[in-house]
Amino acid sequence: MNEQALTGVINGLAAFILLTAFVMVSHNRMNQLVRTFAIQSIALGAFAFAVAYYTGSDHIYVIAVLTIVLKGIVIPQFLKYTIDKIHVRKEVEPLVGIPLSLLLCAGLVMVAYYVAEPIIAGADAVTRNTLAISVAVVLIGFFLMITRRKAMSEIIALLVIENGIFLGAISITYGMPLIVEIGIFFDVLVAVLIMGLFAFRINQTFETLDTTFMRRLKD
Amino acid sequence: MIIIEAILLIPLAVAVACFFLPHRRTLEASALLGTGALFIIALMLGIDVLNNGPVQYSYWYVDELSAFMLFIITFVALMVVIYSVSYIGHDYEEREIDLRQFRSYYLMVQLFLLTMLLVVVCNNLGIMWVAIEGTTLASAFLVGFYEKDTSVEAAWKYLVICSLGIALALFGIVLTYASSIEVLGASSSALEWTTLRSIAPELDPTYLRLAFILIMVGYGTKVGLAPMHTWLPDAHSEAPSPISALLSAVLLNCAFYGILRFFIITELCVPGFATTLMLIFGLLSMALAAAFIIAAKDYKRLLAYSSIEHMGIISLGFGLGGYIGIFGALVQMFSHAMTKCLLFFGAGNILQKYNTKSMDEVRGVISVMPVTGALLLLGALAITGSPPFSIFIGEVAILQAGLSNEEYLVSGLYLALLVVIFAAFMYHISRMVFGKTTEGVTKGDAGPISLIPMLLLLGIILVIGVFLPEPFTDMVEQVAGIFPGGRT
Repeated sequence: MNEQALTGVINGLAAFILLTAFVMVSHNRMNQLVRTFAIQSIALGAFAFAVAYYTGSDHIYVIAVLTIVLKGIVIPQFLKYTIDKIHVRKEVEPLVGIPLSLLLCAGLVMVAYYVAEPIIAGADAVTRNTLAISVAVVLIGFFLMITRRKAMSEIIALLVIENGIFLGAISITYGMPLIVEIGIFFDVLVAVLIMGLFAFRINQTFETLDTTFMRRLKD
Repeated sequence: MIIIEAILLIPLAVAVACFFLPHRRTLEASALLGTGALFIIALMLGIDVLNNGPVQYSYWYVDELSAFMLFIITFVALMVVIYSVSYIGHDYEEREIDLRQFRSYYLMVQLFLLTMLLVVVCNNLGIMWVAIEGTTLASAFLVGFYEKDTSVEAAWKYLVICSLGIALALFGIVLTYASSIEVLGASSSALEWTTLRSIAPELDPTYLRLAFILIMVGYGTKVGLAPMHTWLPDAHSEAPSPISALLSAVLLNCAFYGILRFFIITELCVPGFATTLMLIFGLLSMALAAAFIIAAKDYKRLLAYSSIEHMGIISLGFGLGGYIGIFGALVQMFSHAMTKCLLFFGAGNILQKYNTKSMDEVRGVISVMPVTGALLLLGALAITGSPPFSIFIGEVAILQAGLSNEEYLVSGLYLALLVVIFAAFMYHISRMVFGKTTEGVTKGDAGPISLIPMLLLLGIILVIGVFLPEPFTDMVEQVAGIFPGGRT
């Protein structure tokens, strides 16, 4: 594959990841959210593969495989299992309506391009668009976190933010040292497991997964 | 040299042992033995580092700053484990918790300890991030330990807010790595602190500035700096009291340690940038804490807001900089850890006696529990910066740094906030300690096992405050020497 086609693939995948973030904002059912997250993670893995091929560095291949296996398969399966196990209503129930959410997220993408502008001015072709996209995905993740007040959707929002940061890490620096990456994967996995356990507990104590009920602690 | 591995293996071994041990007493004994041994080994390593310079091999790096932190962590941990014998033992006797919870408490404390120790001994900033995230994960169970609705809420808030903060810090680390890539290439040593420090002036300043902002906000969330502090009062008030002490005295300092490593590198590359941020966050935290301390209703939350205040003071000290500012900040870090530990133990004794966290329902502690009451009062005087306790020395040093830098506005605000906090804090505590005893509370102090660590902690801050012993000042001076502008 020639270089131009390859950068085309890389940019295309990055754009696809941004698209999945938008799709997640538009979902109103919990298992749709998990499924789209899985697709996003697999796209991120494919992106890592393309960058690994482009740069020829071996350790990015490892990251790509880990991303697909853990974030694309294991974590979504676990989330799906948790959602099935907790028999609650499976709607997302956003605080901000979906059309307005989409509009606001479009604004966030513009903010991301504006923020990333000074950094990418001197960068090379591959990373130029992807850094802005990664910032956009992180911001959309934050938006999901703020406007979707259920324990499960908060976990997914956190994972979307993590995906955005990974995209940034791969595009600016072609990945971090392998030992660090593996540590991060381990943490993400444990974090999801623990949060899943707490989601069970929240469900037991409050009989809902809606975290807006948790307003007892204040001054 | 395998001493650093030993420091990490001991808590791990104790955690594994806790999993299998069948009785209350054996669990307590193994935790005490393990933590005691840990403290001794950390002390030996610390003395070695102070005499012979930093130790560095494979993934580890222990310099004077790490040794300082190791001392605080292991000492406070030992105090907490001793106190837990009384506090958690009491809960167990009252059947508030069963043996499964009792065991998991000791197990999680050791894992929590392990992650915090890992934070201060690793050289690679990426691994440090992994460890700091690990501290959140390990302590979340301890925050939600009582499995009540409020503690589940506090634990969930803690998990989500701190994970978000830490995610931002990860972005900061990615950018730090990016700032070094032109100098070092994509080598795996590029995130090692020692490497980064040696090439700090050549790093890309655009990336590094952005990175430091993200680190400050990200790790600052865990430090409890305003306005990212919202998890802190909830977690501190809902956790069992020994855990509140561990969170406030050690975890906050550990997260601050994370900021300091980046602070040093950023200051070497772009002088003046990181210090300004530290000043702003410091003053903001103090101001916010002052407001909430005045309005406090729950005494554990009062102590939590006081922790936010002290993290603000420490941040201010590093922000003002110079030898005297850094000296003050380090003394403050140490003294706050000791004093806050003492206060949370006192709060724990009161909670178990009065069964309420509301300050309005606690009166006459001094006549119900004379020793606890007296210690609480002295601890309150110490934490608000009265002489002759060691926090006074730290606070005066920071004030002096402000005046000698001709930062009169900052110094004025700092002083005013300290006075307000002193008045409000002492008002609340003295109402609790004196006054007509709450009805229905039987007299009788907590057992000696809970009072001994409190007396020991009070002794330390008193000795340092009165005599300022030379080994202590030597240690602080050596630690300050690591910071740019921190040499005398």
